[in-house]
Amino acid sequence: MTKERSRTKLWRLLYTPRRNRWLTAGPAAVWLGLLLLAPLTYMVVVSFLTVSEETYQLVWSPTLAGYSSLFSADPIWTAPFVDALLISVFVAVVTTLLCLVTAFPVAYLLARREGLWVRVIFFLVLLPFFTMYLVRAYSWMLVFGKSGVLNTTLEALGLVDGPVGLFTFGLPAIIVGLTHAYFPYMLLSLYASLDGIDMDLVAVARDLGATRVAVVRDVLVPLTLPGMVSGGLFVFVPTLGAFVTPDILGAGKIQMIGNFIEGRILGAADLAAGSAAAMFIVVAIVLVFVVVIQVVDPEELGAV
Amino acid sequence: MAGATSDGTRTTSRRRLLEIGGATGAIALSGCLASDLFGGTSSGGDPTIHVLTWEEYANDDIKRRIEETVGVTLEITKSTSSAKMFNQWNQGEYKQYDIAIPNNNYVPKMLAATKDGNPMIAPVDRDVVSNLDGIYETFTGFAENQFTKDGSMYGVPIRFGWYGYSYDSRTVPDHEESYEILFSPTFEGVDLSNQIVMYDNHFKAMSAAALYLGFRDAFSGPKVTLSASQIEDVKTTMIEQKPTLQGYIAEDPRYIKQFKQGNFLVGQSGRNEIVELWDQGADWATMATPKEGALAWFESAVVSEASDSKTKAWEVINEYIGAKNGATLAKTGFSPSVNPETKSELSSEENDRFGAIDPSRLEGMVPFKTVENEGAWQTAWEAIKAA
Repeated sequence: MTKERSRTKLWRLLYTPRRNRWLTAGPAAVWLGLLLLAPLTYMVVVSFLTVSEETYQLVWSPTLAGYSSLFSADPIWTAPFVDALLISVFVAVVTTLLCLVTAFPVAYLLARREGLWVRVIFFLVLLPFFTMYLVRAYSWMLVFGKSGVLNTTLEALGLVDGPVGLFTFGLPAIIVGLTHAYFPYMLLSLYASLDGIDMDLVAVARDLGATRVAVVRDVLVPLTLPGMVSGGLFVFVPTLGAFVTPDILGAGKIQMIGNFIEGRILGAADLAAGSAAAMFIVVAIVLVFVVVIQVVDPEELGAV
Repeated sequence: MAGATSDGTRTTSRRRLLEIGGATGAIALSGCLASDLFGGTSSGGDPTIHVLTWEEYANDDIKRRIEETVGVTLEITKSTSSAKMFNQWNQGEYKQYDIAIPNNNYVPKMLAATKDGNPMIAPVDRDVVSNLDGIYETFTGFAENQFTKDGSMYGVPIRFGWYGYSYDSRTVPDHEESYEILFSPTFEGVDLSNQIVMYDNHFKAMSAAALYLGFRDAFSGPKVTLSASQIEDVKTTMIEQKPTLQGYIAEDPRYIKQFKQGNFLVGQSGRNEIVELWDQGADWATMATPKEGALAWFESAVVSEASDSKTKAWEVINEYIGAKNGATLAKTGFSPSVNPETKSELSSEENDRFGAIDPSRLEGMVPFKTVENEGAWQTAWEAIKAA
């Protein structure tokens, strides 16, 4: 009893709304501050510096040299950085759409069904998550390539005379590898969204004469939009900055922005230009978030 | 709080469990902090030497022998490229490591890199590195040319090798060894379209192209000095080459795997990769030393100026070039040691492959060097990759 009283007393002494806020939001704020804001701020600052060619150290004098070095081509749109940026956006958009298109039917089926097989499918979908990202990317190396499983099988079946370019290393292989890597993010987001939908609405719409396409378009898509958007973000953001998969499955022939940054930092020891290039990924992601917030209420995203 | 239940067994309350967990965590944390704060001394009292290097240096036998002989604990961090080692070192990690072992062309960079005006690497303590007197003269010569400043040497050569190209002799016939094969869609009647691989590194790949184009003079000084127009020619040649390429590969295991899988027929490669392939039974893989000049490398160990155990660090390096450890290193990485005494520790087959490689073979080769105007090389490389 005394113990309980002293605990209550201590609680009253310590508790204030402000302290409560700090206790609840504090750890997350410290985490974000140390691991997100501080590095980001450092990166922004470094992007406006240069690296000495003699001592390889940062020169603490503000300049736009890092940014201008990214566009040193005439005309400007022929600069390798612009090319890398455009390829990255293209790959990220296509991968996101592919994940959406392939994950939606699976998520829909899983949301409508219950039982052991649903859990088994979930397990199978999440199984690749238990392996390293690098291992997953490497496993695709056996599938693609001149002597990969796809080309060898087609040749053995007599369907083609020689290796098919589509199945060698390059852009298609990168997109397949990234789609495979990020598919579960999209699936889980969509499943969470579809699982909250009253499926009677689908039945009612069908009873009222709506076609299957109309049901998807007018009922399912609007109701699962937050899930699509959050899943899309989960796929788009990491894909935009991907560099391991392009390196492995693109055989180094495709330069995405992540590879460009790696080259500047490791190849040329130019941390400043690398940071300047990385700022374009940050800005692109911020722009996507701005657009998303126009389309979907952020609270709905959180409710997925 | 622990208490007894009605059946007589004792239980531990959640609070008690948390207290125990917290106390254990605090003890562990304080142990880590103490270890960091008080010079990284292991529990046995031996100093810990932190080494940033290649995977082979973590070989258990080598590690154990050195720890016993020198009286240190070795903490080895594996890296996959000299560029990564240099960047880590340069961004302040020279304070965390006692030793780094990059390729020789990165030692001059480490020597040039300074922090607040202070050097990051320490001069070689020749009294401690006694095995240095026994290494091939070729390498002491290279070290004196490349990383000696004010009469002090700053790196110790350990292993060496060279880059040329390799080919699948089942399909590609024997020929006069030349970089031309890497730039020819058809060579000696063999269709090489989409069958060629280049090294995924601006220095190695562009150097091969420069040598192919006959710019060998640019490699004769203390630095590689390709002019702006020569870099432009290299860029144009490599952009024209790109459609015929299978791709660019940097990592040895990936090169070996893809070559064995049959994904390409010819590739720019190190000799050690091909010796490893021979070791795996792939005797069809043939190593070529191009007439225009192969690119020769040697790993070189440096010691951090910030190290508290410099003498011990040099002792460790001395062991790496000792006969026994040098032989094991050669065996593990299929690359010869700079110490000729390693031959006596290897079988005749091992000596044929990687033990008894006389460095006189390097005489016609182009040693790795730092590059003048590396920014222009990198910009050209980005354009090649974007093409």
